[in-house]
Amino acid sequence: MALNWPERICAFSRSPSQFLSGNTAEAFLADLLRELRDDRLSYNDKVLLVAPLCEHSALLCPSDSVGEETAMELMSIFAQCPPKAVQFRCHLLLALTSVLVCTFCTSSDSRASLDFLELLLEIAQDTSDLHAESAARALRFTACDCLRELEACGPGLLSQRLELLSGLRQREPSCLHQSYTILYTLVLRNAVYQLTRETNAGAEHLKALLGGNTSVAWEAEQDPVPAKSKDATALFSLILGPMGRVPTLQTGADFKELRSVLSTFLEESYLLTPLCQAALLHRLTEVVSMVPAVPPAVFRAQLLRLLGTSEVCLLHSALLMKWAFTDSLFSAEDEAFILKRLVMLSQHPLLSTAEKLFYTDCILHFPENRPISSSSDGDETLPVLLTPQLASALAPTVLNDSATMLTRFKLLSLVCIEEGEGEDGKGIAYLYEHLCTLLDIVENGGSREIIVTFFRATFLFLVHFWHVERYTKSLVEKLCNLYLHHCCLAPHFINLTDQTQDKLPDSDWAARLLKDLQGVIAEASSHQIPLKDLSWHLKVLARIAEEGQILQDSTLACLSKFISPSSPSRDWRLGNNLLGVCRRLMVHPSLDSLLIPLADVLQQLACRYGETDIQDHARLYYTLLTTLSREKLSGILARGFTKGGQQVKKRLLSCIMAEGEGLTNMLTIHQTERAIIRLVEVPSEAAEDAPASPNTSIMEDCPGEADAVLAAYRAQFTDCSFASQITLNYQLMHAEAGDSGFDQLFTICLHFRLTDSNYEELSDVTVPCLIRERLLPEVKLKLKPRQPQPTTLRVSAIFTTQDGLSWFTLLPDVPVAFHRIFRPLPAPSSWGRGRKLSLFDSLWEDVSSQQNPSDCATSLFCCQLQEAALLALANKHFLPFLVSDPCPGEELKVLLFLPPQAHVLLKVRSEEDAVLFSIATDDWRLLPHVNSYLLTVTSSQGDAFS
Amino acid sequence: MSLRALWVISHEKGENASVRFSRRFATVEHRAKTLACSTYTAVPEEGVVLQLLLTELGLSDPDKPYVALRDDCLHRQRSPALELRIDSPERGVLWPVLAITQGPLIFACLPLVDAPAEPRPPLASLLSVSQGLTFLAGLQSFLLSPGGKPDSEGLASRLAMLPAVLLQVCPLGTPLDMPQLGPPAAPTAPAILGNQKHPAWKTGFHRGRAVVNVTLVETVRSMQYGNQSRQDLWDVYGTVTCKCEVEGVLPNVTVTLTLPPNGSPLQDILVHPCVTSVDSSILTSNSVDSYDGSAFSGPYKIPFSPPLESFRLCSYTSQVPVPPILGSYHLKEEENQLLVSVTLKLHESVKNNFEYCEAHLPFFNRVQMGTVELKVSSGQIDVSKEKNLLVWGLGQKFPKSREVTMEGRISFSGSTPGPSDPLCTELTAYIKLYFKVPDMTLSGCCLDQHSVQVYSAAKPRIITSRELVSKDYFIWNSTGSAPVASGQINL
Repeated sequence: MALNWPERICAFSRSPSQFLSGNTAEAFLADLLRELRDDRLSYNDKVLLVAPLCEHSALLCPSDSVGEETAMELMSIFAQCPPKAVQFRCHLLLALTSVLVCTFCTSSDSRASLDFLELLLEIAQDTSDLHAESAARALRFTACDCLRELEACGPGLLSQRLELLSGLRQREPSCLHQSYTILYTLVLRNAVYQLTRETNAGAEHLKALLGGNTSVAWEAEQDPVPAKSKDATALFSLILGPMGRVPTLQTGADFKELRSVLSTFLEESYLLTPLCQAALLHRLTEVVSMVPAVPPAVFRAQLLRLLGTSEVCLLHSALLMKWAFTDSLFSAEDEAFILKRLVMLSQHPLLSTAEKLFYTDCILHFPENRPISSSSDGDETLPVLLTPQLASALAPTVLNDSATMLTRFKLLSLVCIEEGEGEDGKGIAYLYEHLCTLLDIVENGGSREIIVTFFRATFLFLVHFWHVERYTKSLVEKLCNLYLHHCCLAPHFINLTDQTQDKLPDSDWAARLLKDLQGVIAEASSHQIPLKDLSWHLKVLARIAEEGQILQDSTLACLSKFISPSSPSRDWRLGNNLLGVCRRLMVHPSLDSLLIPLADVLQQLACRYGETDIQDHARLYYTLLTTLSREKLSGILARGFTKGGQQVKKRLLSCIMAEGEGLTNMLTIHQTERAIIRLVEVPSEAAEDAPASPNTSIMEDCPGEADAVLAAYRAQFTDCSFASQITLNYQLMHAEAGDSGFDQLFTICLHFRLTDSNYEELSDVTVPCLIRERLLPEVKLKLKPRQPQPTTLRVSAIFTTQDGLSWFTLLPDVPVAFHRIFRPLPAPSSWGRGRKLSLFDSLWEDVSSQQNPSDCATSLFCCQLQEAALLALANKHFLPFLVSDPCPGEELKVLLFLPPQAHVLLKVRSEEDAVLFSIATDDWRLLPHVNSYLLTVTSSQGDAFS
Repeated sequence: MSLRALWVISHEKGENASVRFSRRFATVEHRAKTLACSTYTAVPEEGVVLQLLLTELGLSDPDKPYVALRDDCLHRQRSPALELRIDSPERGVLWPVLAITQGPLIFACLPLVDAPAEPRPPLASLLSVSQGLTFLAGLQSFLLSPGGKPDSEGLASRLAMLPAVLLQVCPLGTPLDMPQLGPPAAPTAPAILGNQKHPAWKTGFHRGRAVVNVTLVETVRSMQYGNQSRQDLWDVYGTVTCKCEVEGVLPNVTVTLTLPPNGSPLQDILVHPCVTSVDSSILTSNSVDSYDGSAFSGPYKIPFSPPLESFRLCSYTSQVPVPPILGSYHLKEEENQLLVSVTLKLHESVKNNFEYCEAHLPFFNRVQMGTVELKVSSGQIDVSKEKNLLVWGLGQKFPKSREVTMEGRISFSGSTPGPSDPLCTELTAYIKLYFKVPDMTLSGCCLDQHSVQVYSAAKPRIITSRELVSKDYFIWNSTGSAPVASGQINL
């Protein structure tokens, strides 16, 4: 194995996009498949190589044809692999499943997927491993899981195999019976679901499926390829809760056959691992809810075992039964029992935090027998049976982790609201006391986590109890006290006030807090304030200044104290914070009364502040404040504050005003959410890059010495820039209809990024403008190949819109197909047909001669094509590259030149109804591309003529 | 019921984070795409997941005091299911990402949502979520066993084993079993099995001498305030652990727990999935319910068919009337000194025979201890090397009076500051007790040779043991304000 493979695989899985920017997916896939075929590699190493195919099948096989080919390839590798390499064979099965499912081959019944299905069924039935060591059973185990996944992705795939699977399950003594059980129940569930969707389907059809009696089976399924439901609804879980509707199968009063099947599964369910038991019970729950003839009571015997377990997924499966069957399986006492059990589990000392939180979530989404309100909107509601006494077991404590504490805080809040607790409610008192304990911890230097948790708990408290004056008032006092000692919490305070105002538009709590904070800062400003605290205070003051109903005199008093005349600060950031407060004050409703002190502050800043930029801004503000009318002033400032800024024009003045919002908007390059523009291919004239047109010279010249012709031709390439470039033509256009803001784009700079190393870097292309419904601008791409291989170009663009904003956008990738690299022979313009023919022959001989050890290779391509079709094909695709005359019955000679120095020579001959393409090239790497190109052109030509 | 992706992440308090293992399941992803249609969000590359997960768990940018994305008060961590908001390459929301953190490790997975995406289905309706939790817990114990402590070498070697293990337990994203440590035991020959199917949770077959080992451990926790206004709290929970080496495919074993005549019933009983039948009477008693006195009080018969490895057969809680050790702790601040007075009383029902018993007195937010003048009525006192912790070793026995005291003063005169703690400021301080009493239970729950019945041809050797251990056993200074530790409130 090449040394770098583990690294390459690792790099690929870490970031496929980054990895593929250096290699194409196609090349990487080809590399992988080649290595997998390499006999020198050990099977352990090969296991590693399969991983990318399992994890990123869709990326590596972008189309179903690639998927199909890859699957065929993998299957032949599987067939050649010795039975001993169990691990590798297992991984191959997984890769095959992934590739076929992800490329939709399984839903289109491709050859490969049918073959693969046969292979899997064959392995699943091969019990010869029973006497071998258990490792050999791994292959059968994997095959079962592949079958299960195929059925899960394409429900109904195995409906006709129910009886086969049932037999396999019954006969299997080893642990593998679990795999068959899980597979069988899934297939059964899907089969029943399918029948519920058919009109007139009933018990007979299901019986036929269970008994494998396909002659009575559903008519639509008579053909050997089973009908599969194409819509996604079959994938949805059928346990939908009280409001959901489950499709049902009418089967008459009793359905013994199905019932006995279910009983067997349930009786043996304890033989399965907990995870599989849960999956089995879930599937059987779905089946029973679809078949009303089977009473949910079949599950009764299992319930206590499930509810008594310590395994979260088993208890959950019982809860899902409750969801599906409500009072047809669970009495009111059962319901109360389950709820108590959930409360107990939510605080059980032996369970993990994640499990406990999950159980708490189950309480808040408890599937009640008779729900009063629909909880289908996903909101958390309390079950009726959750009494305050029960809920008290889940009261939050400071020793909880944050997530648990907040979840319990929310739950207890809901209980208090439900109980209609007022000012003297015990629950609210408890929650408030809890909040105060948290606050004490924060005050004593609690960690960042505790601080965040405290503010979240406070927000929860306000959302639920904002109307309980007694606590909210005292909370304001406590918070102010906290701020006084910890003003570095300012961002949390601002966030809390923002969110409370947003969530509780009817409450004035946030404004009250801000007003009191103003008082706190005013008091603090009477002493010397450290510089780092000052910026926090200014942030809070700026927030306070946004409140229309708070008087701002004391804010101004603080500002003038902060700008101490004795030692003018030079800090730009601080100055900016000062200006931020001033700017907000300039739009405050009580500006009239603030005018003079505000002007004083601005003047002081303009004259004394130690930073020129701040001085300039202050001067501008001062001028605006003292000269403009109020309306104009607020007009200018309001624009500066406008958010989003997509359609705001004339932003210049406002931008200078508001340092943050507008200006940064202008200076930032925004990113578009979708592609705005795209490049569309225009057929380029091949002649463009050729030094001279090959067809201009009609004059027949003397053929000349063959060697001399070749030498003269080759001599041209001593100039390495000779014929090394390809020009491709594109048009730039808008991508679909979209935002009218992007109708007019200016100074578009297109940047191209290569996805492989086969080409030289491309330089940027600038397009002056692109305006919808005007002439589309042309873009000429000059590509310089290092290796003439097809490629894909990543394109991005930066442009300006009419409103002056700059945008960055990604364009759809631009593929460069193989045939777009073909150039006509770059022969000197004076050469006539004779010399070219002679050059062709010499080249051919040169390439096909045995003593040439380089990259040369010859090949043959055959296809069925009539003579007429061949001529049409030559005219359509090969005209610029023809060296000989296209006469009927004659051999056609085609010379494809691929910059920088590769040639593909074709001799095309018609024989009876077949056409032979003899191929010679001086670069064997081109052969696969030539082959697929010929396949494409000949098949399309064949279609046109047949 | 399947997982779209799986990650194991390591970090050091939010820094140097890296994805140690990741696995995507392409076919499940394909299903997710089909199910979600237009609301589908692809799983981004692991670097993106890593960053988003750390932000969501509040671990990103540990040096920044406030980050809006991380710390917004509106945003409540809905653990265990997190929501990752992706900005690039495409906008979208990844939900429900399950994450379990343990020390420097994060185990995370993304279960498939097999319900319509809008409105968002409740977690409780998605089986894949609880399966994901079970699987993550299994993964956690696989990667961290046996001590539960992560060591970098052991972790690396187990991570390297993970791909092979996943092939056995979760080949295509649908977890079938939990990751198991060690090679599978000897396989069962089909001849032995006959008609009996082999349980999937049993990796092999025991051959040789039959031994059954049953251990009952009761753990007691307590919060004692020594304060009229605060009720002291304590609780007891027990776990029964078994290791059964018995022949047969599905051997039958029954463990019977009995209580003394006046014992209060065992509550909150949880049993292992291998328990074959559960009587409704043993599940009825619940600690969150009001106790009505008529509850079933044993004997508790637990029939099961054991797996090969050691496992927790059942657990319970019990309400005992008194704590095993009742303590009082008084501190008084005098200049640079603390006057200390401690009394510990051993309850008469508790066997006065400890394997160990230690009281730890840590001091936070103070400088180092200087002179320590303390008198104890029993045992001996050690000062830790860091000079901020007193360890009072009480040895194997309390004196005859069943009461020990500590009196004296400690001065804090060092120059180096000791550890800080936001809870224990000023006079808020605690004593933490560590003790273990062999061969006893607080609940009175009895387990001996006769409690274990094995239905097999060969008579097995039966070993049983009981013990009582303490955990989170706090005695708070009665002159300081102790935090409310439990939600025992009357609503």
